[in-house]
Parts: sequence; structure tokens; C-alpha cells
Amino acid sequence: MSRGGEAGQAWELGREALAYADTLYNLARYLAGNDSDAEDLVQETYSRALGSSGQFTPGTNLKAWLFRILRNTFISQYRRQRGNPVVGGLDTVAPIPPAAADISWVRDDVELDRLRKVMAEDIERALMTLSEDARTVILLDLEGLSEVETAEVMGCAVGTVKSRLSRARAALRLLLKDWKR
Amino acid sequence: MREQLLDFQQGRLVPDLVTSVRRHLDGCGDCAHADQVERELTQVLERRTPQYSAPVALKRKLAANWPTPAPVVPRRRVRSWLRLFLPPVVLATAALLFLVPDMRGLVAPKGPAASVMIGEAVNDHVRLLQSERPLEVESSGIHQVIPWFSGKLDFAPGIRFAGDAEFPLRGGAVGYFVDRKAAALVYGRRLHSISLFVFKAEGLPWPSAPLEPAGRAHVYRTAARGFNVLLWRDGELGYALVSDVSAGDLMLLASKLAPPA
Repeated sequence: MSRGGEAGQAWELGREALAYADTLYNLARYLAGNDSDAEDLVQETYSRALGSSGQFTPGTNLKAWLFRILRNTFISQYRRQRGNPVVGGLDTVAPIPPAAADISWVRDDVELDRLRKVMAEDIERALMTLSEDARTVILLDLEGLSEVETAEVMGCAVGTVKSRLSRARAALRLLLKDWKR
Repeated sequence: MREQLLDFQQGRLVPDLVTSVRRHLDGCGDCAHADQVERELTQVLERRTPQYSAPVALKRKLAANWPTPAPVVPRRRVRSWLRLFLPPVVLATAALLFLVPDMRGLVAPKGPAASVMIGEAVNDHVRLLQSERPLEVESSGIHQVIPWFSGKLDFAPGIRFAGDAEFPLRGGAVGYFVDRKAAALVYGRRLHSISLFVFKAEGLPWPSAPLEPAGRAHVYRTAARGFNVLLWRDGELGYALVSDVSAGDLMLLASKLAPPA
């Protein structure tokens, strides 16, 4: 049975959007760093999505649209909490170590061996050490978003996504390499 | 070459480049090793990154908050005389509602969607109050505050009220309202703070009734979680005024923000 009108469209959108609750919560958890704030962030995201459901273009990527709302919500809350929202951007939260910009590739198999032994908690700890931008770009890549979609979520150019992802992965490798178990 | 490895691995390169990267990797030990490390990293991330699932209680809450569809009422046959007289009656009613805004409340009650805007306004106000440094520009001068927004918003907030002894301007900040950027201005009322959010109005679920005149604006007045909230539109912009001061005080400030033309 078709459900016409704005309310019907919002309901259809909601039904689809709720299917992404786990995916959104996962990103929220990595952004907020704890369960309680992640729940608030996801709730606020759905509330905002509902408020602007009329702006969603059917046929476009709903998951990317929701991610964008979630990230914008996080940024606005983060900025308000930290007080100096404008200057510096989010990279100031936890900058990628300077060494990451100039990665020297290990030529033997030590790094490969180390990577193969990495545990889940190492990855989480390393991700949480990265800046918000770097963490987000890695998680969105893992979610299977294309560079174009990630660029839409992060509000930047596709080229920027490419370089951020490359730098973020390099920084992650450095962190994982340095943590000896 | 190293910058292209990820694109190569994820199949994002055009065929010519794929061939060229492959050829390079065959002859360059360093790059071949780098390729191997990147692949290993991808595999490790895909297999071992902890994934968090939304708690069931949260999912239930989300589902409960999303509006359910209105029941579909089966169409009934309309008598031929109704078909004849209904259009003029509808037109006359619409004209009456257009001419007398206050009457809109009689036929267009506040829907659940309006609560999104009200909740957002209150949340934004509370966040401002809770922030350690809520204001990004602290000034009582409107000619310092408004120009500060230049380049930070893609619209001009259109506020000319510079504050006065009753409602001194304290400063401003940039934030988000629902899904869009907003200018946040903070006025004072004795020891209380009043937040004014200005944002693009289009596409939001504006409450349609009941509306009350305040200056040249027709405002929607309500209260939520102990705060008084006023919402109104003026052209392309929307305004939300929130505070724990009395509704009368907020109406007075609204009339100053939107003085009669």
C-alpha cells in the first residue's frame, strides 16, 4: 500500500534510515569515545534527519547523508564544548604525528609480521589516537563509502579525501608498528 | 607511485594505469613491499577493527521517535453536487486563512515534526549555556558581532537590533540548527541568557499555528523543558529565540528584533 504525502515519505525514509542505526552508532562511538555520548549523538542525528527529511533526494546515498548529519552534529557539539570552534579545525584535536608525513617504508618483514599480530584493542587504541578527521576518513573507507561520498560527508574535495586517507593510514601503520606487544 | 597504491588495490585506477602500476611493482622491490604492507593493513582493519552495535534500547527509542504514517483513509465516492460546490468553498477558506493568520491554528495544529525544531532550539540553547566558552565573539557592539559572521555563513543574519539596557547583546557564535549552519546571538535579560538562532528557513518543518504578532513577525510561541521558545520566519531566514525568561519578555525582544516596517 502506498503512503502518499510528506508524512508517508518521511516514514519511508525513517524505515530505511533506521536500518543504518548500527553503522551510525559505530562511527558515533569512535567519534565520541564513549557509549553515552555516542547514543546522544545518534539520537540527535536522527532527530535532525527527521527535521530535514524533505531535503533528502531519493535515489542518492542515504547512508552518506546520515553520516554527514552525524558528523556535522558531532562537530557542532564538539566545538561548543571546547569553546574555540573556528580556529584550527578538527586536526588540532589530536594531530597526526609529524613523522607520519614522511613515512619510511620498512624493507624487511618486521612490519608485516607486526601487522599480522595486531589485536582489536590495538586498532581501537590507534584509531582513537588519530585526529577526528583521520579517524573518520578511515572508518568511512572501511564502511565502503567511495571517495566522492566521503568527500560529501566531510565537506571537502575528493583530492583532500585521498590525501587524508593516505596520511591517516600511514599514521595508523606507524602507531601499530610502534606498539610492541 | 605510492600514492596510487590504494587506488590500485581498490580498483579505482583506469586500465592503462593499472597496467603501468603492475609493471612498476614487478620491477621495484620497495614499492612491491609497500603494496604488500598496505594490503595487510586493509585486511587487518577489515577483520579486526572492533565494531559497535547500537543498543537495542536506542533502536527502540529511535523507532518510537520517528513519526508513524497517517492511516490511509479509503476514498469514498463524492456526490456530484459536492464536486460542484467543494472547490469554491475550499478556495474561500484558503483565502480567509491567508488573510487572518491567527485562524490557521484552528485547522492546522502543531504536528510532531514541529517538535523537532522546538527540541533543536532548546538543545542548542542548553549547549550554549553549558559550554565553557559559548561565545566565539564577545561584544556588545552589533557592528562588531554581525561582521564577524562574514565568511562563516552563506547568508547574512539580517539582525539590526544592537541590544539595549533591557536586552544587552553579549556576543555570537556559529553553530548548526538541525542540518544547517546557524548564527547564534546571545542577549541578556538581567542575569538570564537569551539565545537567538538565525538560519535558512527552507525545508524545515515549521509549525503553522497558532501564530501571534510580535513587531512585523508572526511568531509561534511554545514552551519545552522549562524554556520558552519563539519561532518565526522572515523571508528566506528562520529565527528561534529561546530562554528561561518569561514568554512576555521573549515576545518583547522578538518585537525589537523584527520591528514593525
